Amino acid sequence: MPAQLKTAGWYRAAAFTLLGLAFSFSLTTLIRSLYGYTPLIDGAAITIVSMIAVPFFFLVGLGAFDYWFYWASGRPTRAEDHASHGAHSWRDYFKVNTDHKVIGVQYVCTTFFFMFIGGLMAMMVRAELAAPGSQFVDGQDYNSLFSVHASLMIFLFIVPVFAGLANYVLPLMIGAPDMAFPRLNALSFWLLPIAGTLMTGSFLMPGGAFASGWTAYAPLSTTQPLGQMCFSIGVQFAGASSIATALNFLVTIITMRAPGMSFWRMPLLVWANFATSLLVVIATPFIAASQFFVLLDVALGFHFFDATIGEGRQGNVVMYQHVFWFYSHPAVYIMMLPGFGIVSEIISVKSRKPIFGYRMMAFSLLAIVLLGFTVWAHHMFVSGMQDWIRVPMMITTAIIAVPTGIKIFSWLGTLWKGVIHLDTPMLFALGFLTMFTLGGISGVMLAMVPFDIHVSDTYFIVAHIHYVLFGGSLFTIFAGVYFWFPKMTGRMYNEKLGKIHFWATFVFFNLTFAPMHVIGIQGMPRRVADYADQFAAWNFAISIASFFLGLSSLIFLYNMVNSWRNGKKAESNPYRSLTLEWQVSSPPPIFNFDEIPTVVGGPYEYGVPGAVHAIMGSAKPEPVAAAVGSNTESQEG
Amino acid sequence: MEAASIEAADTSHGHGDHHGPPVAHHSSTVDAQTLGMLLFIVSEIMVFGGFFTAYFFIRIVNGNPWPAEGEELPQLIAGFNTAVLLSSSVTMHWALEAAKHGNRRGMKLGMLATLLLGSTFLTVQINEYVHLGFAPYNSAQASIFYGLTGLHGAHVFIGLTLLLFATVRVFKGHFTPDEHQGIEVPGIYWHFVDVMWVIVYVSVYIL
Ligand code: HEM
Ligand SMILES: [Cu+2]
Repeated sequence: MPAQLKTAGWYRAAAFTLLGLAFSFSLTTLIRSLYGYTPLIDGAAITIVSMIAVPFFFLVGLGAFDYWFYWASGRPTRAEDHASHGAHSWRDYFKVNTDHKVIGVQYVCTTFFFMFIGGLMAMMVRAELAAPGSQFVDGQDYNSLFSVHASLMIFLFIVPVFAGLANYVLPLMIGAPDMAFPRLNALSFWLLPIAGTLMTGSFLMPGGAFASGWTAYAPLSTTQPLGQMCFSIGVQFAGASSIATALNFLVTIITMRAPGMSFWRMPLLVWANFATSLLVVIATPFIAASQFFVLLDVALGFHFFDATIGEGRQGNVVMYQHVFWFYSHPAVYIMMLPGFGIVSEIISVKSRKPIFGYRMMAFSLLAIVLLGFTVWAHHMFVSGMQDWIRVPMMITTAIIAVPTGIKIFSWLGTLWKGVIHLDTPMLFALGFLTMFTLGGISGVMLAMVPFDIHVSDTYFIVAHIHYVLFGGSLFTIFAGVYFWFPKMTGRMYNEKLGKIHFWATFVFFNLTFAPMHVIGIQGMPRRVADYADQFAAWNFAISIASFFLGLSSLIFLYNMVNSWRNGKKAESNPYRSLTLEWQVSSPPPIFNFDEIPTVVGGPYEYGVPGAVHAIMGSAKPEPVAAAVGSNTESQEG
Repeated sequence: MEAASIEAADTSHGHGDHHGPPVAHHSSTVDAQTLGMLLFIVSEIMVFGGFFTAYFFIRIVNGNPWPAEGEELPQLIAGFNTAVLLSSSVTMHWALEAAKHGNRRGMKLGMLATLLLGSTFLTVQINEYVHLGFAPYNSAQASIFYGLTGLHGAHVFIGLTLLLFATVRVFKGHFTPDEHQGIEVPGIYWHFVDVMWVIVYVSVYIL
């Protein structure tokens, strides 16, 4: 056997992928012959088994499990030589790497890759909707386009990109040399491209890609062509990835904080990821369960959702929605809380003021975690569930707006009389603040049962979703990427292009999504390829605006690529920030710190004379110098 | 695109000496692996929560008879199996105690007994499936019966795999009174699998 096939890497991964296909083929055929099914060789069955089994073969080939195999067989594990730490060439980003900084970059690049694919699909959706009638796709293809668009954006972009950014900065912020379980961390990352490949690849399936929305309601999803399985199985991989990362974050935050870094001295980004990770660990298993049910119904003929097999033995359809939303409502906070954390960092640094109500900020995160589990059925007001659930859900949904409101007022309080630096990250943070507030307001409107019944499944929902997820989450992601770009790449981004990107995004975002409120209230249904002529003018305008919105993301792409290659070298602490990640060089040294720093104060004491957050290295306390970021590393970098 | 960052990265850690990472500060008395296992168990409990939701809707909300007409659940065999699994928790605990006292023979016997009892459980369960007389597609009740017990069976299998690793290492002479995490952590998982079975057994077979 050639050496390349023995060592972990892409050659071995390819070989194992072939092996996995052969395995799935033989296993399926063997079982079918044992049960005497005809035909013996069944393409659909083999495909489903392959979608589950081949990814594991691929991961084994790539080397994600090597260490554990050694460990499990009781052989001496190879001494950790830290060979897999740091990246020395671009090739290292395509390997299994256990360095949280490399993994962070892998995450962010991969998720943005899928963001652009998902965005392309949105452009196609808008092209189809530019005029009434059928433009260039039929109904099923249209449904596929928006389903894959939403699934990629949610499961392959917003949820994991936050995990990626936090992967990079969180261990630095709490003064840890890495995450608690670096190998698990690497595995979590490599599950993502698998999930993305499954979802994107579903267009190649006979019958087209999955087409029942990102919600995949049964029994629609249990009666769809094979492509639906790409969703059911893809979500399992993405979900496993996010559970593993969340577990890793929680253990890291609890057990690896630097001396002096008490919970009440943690930056709010750390708090936000702590809260998010709790949500992920508790809620994500529910979507796994819901997709297991769909999988079992489709592949093995179970009857979880079959209401037609006869009195006294029928399944329950509404159950799908309960299980799904018990995950997916918390999931909307999984997609928002880390953004709250990012914005808290940026607003405090860029207005040179301590966070207003730091403890309330942390408590409201925890309140959202708790309340987030009590509102799921506000997505089901028209589902035919028991009537009495509606009013309690309406009340809890209105209540959950309170901790959210507290956060908004805290940010405003932080900005109040601050010395505001309006650069790109801050612009996106302020854009988030305004747009998310609008999305929150339409959310409270939707909480009201009578109003919700009126606009259920209309474009009003699409408007709400995009104000919270695009104007909310995506703005914080842009803010975070610009903010930490110098730290992650060691280069400065182009400020002018950044500002153009912000204003283009902000303007065309509103031109695209604000009118959707109007046509939604007038009754234009969502998820339909055609619409009544009365909506033609608005839709044409929306489509034009959306194309410009799509183009504006190319400015971002150009800025990132070009600045990474040719940007000005970044200082270690260009924003005079207090938190720990800025006290080391840009990019940080391979093991983050030469010595674990000692934390002696809060993270946001901007403008407070003599305040110190942390003492780096073994340096004796030198209060004033430390406050503006005394560091030993930056001089070397 | 990455090339530039590499350059920058290289200069930044160009101290030359390739020393290891600084030792992380332990900010909690809980040990990381145990905490990780406990959190994993939380999310496992939630997977079961999803399946119990399905059980609740099919049995209670739909008001279906349990089990469906013409189906019967072998309470006694499953009861025997419950006893088998519960005693495997005892042997697991024994193995851990032996490890804490440096008793190698006890460790080996305890692990082997646990493996044996666990595999007995799985064998009996598979045998039960074969002779049950109904299949998952006969009714929604049958679907969730196979769903819950099958999910649990899969967990027994995972647990056994973890214990097998630990056993191999026991026989290779690993683990001392001070270093027995490799037994303790999969042990926690095994106890969880047992407790979960009691809940599944009571709700599926007894109630
Ligand atoms: C004050 C906070 C919020 C309230 C009161 C609220 C309320 C609601 C309600 C009642 C619905 C159901 C509408 C329907 O389907 O009839 C809904 C839908 C939705 N919300 Fe929110 N929401 C809030 C914040 C958020 C946030 C922060 C996000 C994500 C970042 C979000 C994402 C979504 C999504 C994706 C849907 C649509 C799901 C679908 O049917 O596809 N919401 N919201
Ligand atoms: Cu919701």
